[in-house]
Amino acid sequence: MKKSFKITMLTIAVGVFAGCVPAPKPHIPVGIGGSIEVHPSQETVVDKEYGAKPLNYTTAIRAYFSTKIARGGLSQYKYGEPKRAYKKKGLAYGGDIDWKGWLVETAIATPTRTGRMLTPKPYMVLFSGEQIVEHILGYSHKLITKVDK
Amino acid sequence: MANFNTHFMVASGASAVVSGTLLSMEVVSPEQAVNAFVLGTLGGLLPDVDSAHSTSIKVGFNVLSLLMTIMLIFVKSSTYSLVEMFIVAGLVFVGIRYALLDVFRKISKHRGMFHSIPVAFIWGIVISILMQYFFGLDSLVSWVYGFMVTTGYFVHLTLDELYSVDLGNRRMKKSSGTALKFGMFKTSKAQIHTAIIYVTIPLLLLIAPNTDLFINALFSHDAWLNFKDVLLPYDGKWFIH
Repeated sequence: MKKSFKITMLTIAVGVFAGCVPAPKPHIPVGIGGSIEVHPSQETVVDKEYGAKPLNYTTAIRAYFSTKIARGGLSQYKYGEPKRAYKKKGLAYGGDIDWKGWLVETAIATPTRTGRMLTPKPYMVLFSGEQIVEHILGYSHKLITKVDK
Repeated sequence: MANFNTHFMVASGASAVVSGTLLSMEVVSPEQAVNAFVLGTLGGLLPDVDSAHSTSIKVGFNVLSLLMTIMLIFVKSSTYSLVEMFIVAGLVFVGIRYALLDVFRKISKHRGMFHSIPVAFIWGIVISILMQYFFGLDSLVSWVYGFMVTTGYFVHLTLDELYSVDLGNRRMKKSSGTALKFGMFKTSKAQIHTAIIYVTIPLLLLIAPNTDLFINALFSHDAWLNFKDVLLPYDGKWFIH
């Protein structure tokens, strides 16, 4: 009885202490002998419906807008966190769901041709994985539904 | 009252100035500026669609019937066979171009509420709603297109009002005050029509795209500074940049 009690207590103690130990962080090998620690915020989140959450969205957005808007390379960018969202086609094109993925709200302040900085313009940048599908001016659109508020 | 050609020329001139300014202020892209110009010109012809035998009503219904037929083809091309599409497209075109036009001619009265300031606003709001819901355009571009239609509409009403002044005889014609008006108030029926028009505006605004970007792009202090930046050469050098 005593022996079985001891084993039970030992098992519980091991279980409790094991629970307190932080889970090992995944390491991604880089080149020869090196590795990058992946922080929890950078871990790939894959949603069955919405696909993989973009990780390098800031770089992708900056590169994308440098060719899409006038003086995009000289602009100042502010980024929100990726949110799950979907977009319907316009009624003229049938109104079905056109895109499902991750949406990043971005504010971009561009300089005018005289160099004066304009009030930042809001954009919704639509991602499918790491790929930018399109951008929409404004933080709201009648055909876009943001799943994460 | 100005004729079709005068309305067309003046509306297209005004639309060219406004869309060119918006392009220069970088509110719209070059392609959007072309669309804005076309919509502004059409807006300048719209008020006369209530005139049973005007060229405007024919042009308006031709454009509408063609647009609806093309939209139908877009939507149904993946499911309908060619023969089905041909039959339905034909029915839609004939239905709008002839049947709807005939009904419209019977119920509309020239220089009724169609020639009024609130209806100019309603057209602008309706266009912006259609642009966002039907074509998926962003709120700024949707409102710019609506604004262009309203601007064209106002140009038409103003022109009609100016033509009601007989400069030779220095008198006002009978048509004076029938174009650029806030509503009709003489009979109870006319008052009801006016009331319906005014109630429609806030109801339409409830479903209209967000106006923040449009107001900021066209009617804010920032927009004014932006306009001043593009009005004259910023470096003081004319034609050599």
